Amino acid sequence: MFSKFLDGFNFIARCKKYKIGLWQCPNFLFLVMGVVTVTAMVGTYIAARRFDDETVTVVSVSLVVAVIFVIGNLIIRGVERIAEADILKSEFISIISHQLCSPLSAIKWNLEIIETEKTPEHALSDKQMLFLDNIKKSNEQMLKLVSDLLDVVRIDQGRTIFVKEKVDLSRVVREVVEGLKHLTDSKKIKVELGIEDNLPLVVADEKKMRVVFDNLIGNAVKFSNDNSKVLVKLENNTNNVKFTVQDWGVGIPRHQHDKIFEKFFRSSNASRYRTEGVGLGLYLVKAILKSFGGEIWFKSEIDKGSTFFFTLPSVKL
Amino acid sequence: MSDANKKKILIVEDDRALQNALLEMLGQEGYELIPAVDGEEGLAKAASEKPDLILLDIILPKKDGYEVLADIKKNPEIKDIPVLILTNLEEISDVQKAISLGAKTFMVKSDFSLKDVLEKVKENLK
Repeated sequence: MFSKFLDGFNFIARCKKYKIGLWQCPNFLFLVMGVVTVTAMVGTYIAARRFDDETVTVVSVSLVVAVIFVIGNLIIRGVERIAEADILKSEFISIISHQLCSPLSAIKWNLEIIETEKTPEHALSDKQMLFLDNIKKSNEQMLKLVSDLLDVVRIDQGRTIFVKEKVDLSRVVREVVEGLKHLTDSKKIKVELGIEDNLPLVVADEKKMRVVFDNLIGNAVKFSNDNSKVLVKLENNTNNVKFTVQDWGVGIPRHQHDKIFEKFFRSSNASRYRTEGVGLGLYLVKAILKSFGGEIWFKSEIDKGSTFFFTLPSVKL
Repeated sequence: MSDANKKKILIVEDDRALQNALLEMLGQEGYELIPAVDGEEGLAKAASEKPDLILLDIILPKKDGYEVLADIKKNPEIKDIPVLILTNLEEISDVQKAISLGAKTFMVKSDFSLKDVLEKVKENLK
């Protein structure tokens, strides 16, 4: 706590991080302004006591106001520079991601052509098919990353324009669990489904809800120990549908509990188990749920596992 | 399918790798295919070949997909040919713009497999 407070004064390091000069750095300038203000007040007090002449007071006060004005202006420019850099960064990510879409789609479609070759003499051997499948999976991973990045940029720019349609979450959950089969099979994890009958529909974007389930259930599986189980539940509450996913895996250290929904955050505990991922999943999940009026929370204990919950308002019949 | 009633598809796509994959897949299905690599060529071929269906990219050299689509709809001879948009733009505003200009459907390349594209083509050739 105290170190954090001190850290705030370490403006030289901060300014270096922002990649701007000292005289453009708001943190430094604010300190300078503080010093000037205090000196000026003390100075004016002394001057007013020592001299009876009003002009001295008027001139010194005007001077101080001018200096504060200039510094204030510099602070605003500094903040603007930082804000502009942030906008540029978002645009950069957006352009690069869009440019990656075309070649990645081309790889996907061309792989599909090879895979679906019908003439027997051109058919691939099992070994070739296996390696082709590896390429396909890597490509899908890249496509997913690009799609996540584009979503993050949209959210950052306040353009969360998802489709709003009535969605049957139970069907989406079943399909996502089926899609994770290769992962659950390879870790020998049993996914137990507890889906209530006659679940009401919710208003959401089905494609984005896939992203939500894929991340939440996928995480539960990835951070589980082999040969264990993951529990997935969908319940009908009075006004909403509640989703629960529980694992008995590595868990999240307590001091990281308030950070896990932050952008680019990766738990130190998680990284020990897998290195893939850039820390966008939960950030996206929270933003998506929020845009449909939902809420997300979790409980977790290290080495005992995590449980994630979310609710989405149900459609009134 | 005899050659006389073989359905004709115009593919306006500037990315060769994507164009090739589409040509191969639709060719296997027995369609007659006309490739075009920019907006102007696409529009000219739409008018001269009068295809049964048009697959149209949006980001294209010379003339973008929206302009091509608008021009197609202005020409009474070809305005009823179904146009399917095949792009990597996926903002809601892009979809709305294309649909309001008269596109039949909007497909995002990274979300669609060739099989999905084929399905949409068949659906719109009925």
